[in-house]
Amino acid sequence: MNLIVFTKRVPATQEEELRITGEGKAVDLSKVPFKVNDWDNYSIEEAVRIVEKSGGAVTAVSIGDAESDEVLRRSIAMGAKDGFLIETGDVLHDPNARATLMQNFLKKENVPFDAIFTGVQSEDDQFGAVGGILAAKLGLPFVSMVIGIDATESDHLIVRRELEGGLQERVKVMLPCVVSIQTGINEPRYVSIMGVRKASKVERKVFKAAGYQENVVNKIEVVKWVYPPKKAGATILSGELDGMCKELLGILKEKGVYQ
Amino acid sequence: MSYVLVVAEVRRGIFEERNLDSIGLCALLGKDAILLIPEGDYGMNEQLVNGLVRVKTEEALFLNPLNMVNILEKVMAARGKPDMIVFTNSASGIELASYAAGHFNLPVITDVNGYDKERGIFFKSYYSDKIFGEFRPSGEGTFIITVRSGSFKENAAGKGSAPPAEAIEDVAANAARTFVEYVEEEKTDVDITKAEFLLSLGRGIGNKDEIPDYEELAGLLKAVISGSRPVIDKLWLPKARQVGTSGKTVKPKVYLAMGISGAFQHIAGMKDSSCIIAVNKDPEAPIFQYAHYGIIADIHKVRDALKGILKG
Repeated sequence: MNLIVFTKRVPATQEEELRITGEGKAVDLSKVPFKVNDWDNYSIEEAVRIVEKSGGAVTAVSIGDAESDEVLRRSIAMGAKDGFLIETGDVLHDPNARATLMQNFLKKENVPFDAIFTGVQSEDDQFGAVGGILAAKLGLPFVSMVIGIDATESDHLIVRRELEGGLQERVKVMLPCVVSIQTGINEPRYVSIMGVRKASKVERKVFKAAGYQENVVNKIEVVKWVYPPKKAGATILSGELDGMCKELLGILKEKGVYQ
Repeated sequence: MSYVLVVAEVRRGIFEERNLDSIGLCALLGKDAILLIPEGDYGMNEQLVNGLVRVKTEEALFLNPLNMVNILEKVMAARGKPDMIVFTNSASGIELASYAAGHFNLPVITDVNGYDKERGIFFKSYYSDKIFGEFRPSGEGTFIITVRSGSFKENAAGKGSAPPAEAIEDVAANAARTFVEYVEEEKTDVDITKAEFLLSLGRGIGNKDEIPDYEELAGLLKAVISGSRPVIDKLWLPKARQVGTSGKTVKPKVYLAMGISGAFQHIAGMKDSSCIIAVNKDPEAPIFQYAHYGIIADIHKVRDALKGILKG
């Protein structure tokens, strides 16, 4: 089975203080470290496991600037055969624009595939819409929130979708298709620095995004970036560590959960 | 007649409460809400909407994006194009919305949590809820929105009369994707929804080897251990311990969150706890917005200090 997996390099903003600049025009990410999108890491792992079991090849594709080569090297270190970079300096906030660029690329370069994997969403924009738009544009069946692939047959997959409250839905989807992978579907393998170094010897192809711009337009626009409205917020305990911990235990006693 | 089409999320005979947020957004916009829903008794308050379109189809077919685009085509053929199509921001809502956006070539903004009526702007969270983007469609015409649960439901109000209903029939089932069955979570001996005191662990604990030390702390405090999604995904804690939309919704007397930054999906699962105490080294972590008490510190140091005092 030949699988195309889209992977994205994203800012790791979890523990970073973010600053809006230019009166809402931009978010300053210059001091933020970048990493592979968590969801894409699980997607690559899932794809590699499938080809390790039943043959075929994984092609990792990333849209981004030259730095995005990092996530392609990583994918190859995990077991992808090829790494393609669709190089652009544009951020592409609109999932329609991103999906259309993908569609144009796949069509023009005629990359063969039985299934396309994307992450359910990317950590930075949290849109969760690219996989679905791409599937519809390609006229392919689509399944999102996939937390398990139970069977890979020659003409279909049996997958499990994660719903709310611990419930899952088992679905049969015909090939070729687009599948959006949820975190937790597997345990992604460890990637060593040595592994990435070795992978960098495998040639990655670079395609200029300028060549695939047909109908790539922003259907939505970002007017401005703002900080979320502040709620009342927590009473922050202060002082020495021991003092704060004693205060915390006092609260637990007061609430009746600790004697 | 201008209208907004609200695609109802129904599952196993239940009209999901988050549909009220979709309806509430229509009220905020001052637009007529027409609810698209499969035929059946969903026991909802129909007076909250201005009209109903009942689809003669099974629920599982309705929730399939490949069929939904056919249903939407029929609705638009009968009623004309809506100003907006609204879905819930859930596992199925986003799946349906994104596929419909691609199929009909429409703008889509997901996870909308606010609306500025004067400026016609939708707010959407970015970067783990640390930044909001103000979005709007670039051009005129129909666009698609998914609505974050809890954002607009207070705007939903009864109209005082039963709305008119139309029907959609002969929806073809696309064979390229078919529903097989629901799979329930395995039953376990620990039920975190019953606990009065939860010690909940997040990504901030760093690695699996730290878990036993937190279990020891939980033992000393007589608390039950739970966790956020990243901890479950990494298999540091079993799935039955997960708090959040895809896990359990909990309302303990005390929810002590250590190393949890507070992704929206997590907050949704614990925000109704009587007392929330958050420990995190990042003062900007969204969880401090929802907590009653906070400690900004290294969680391992807090853990060790607490253990020191408790073992005293």
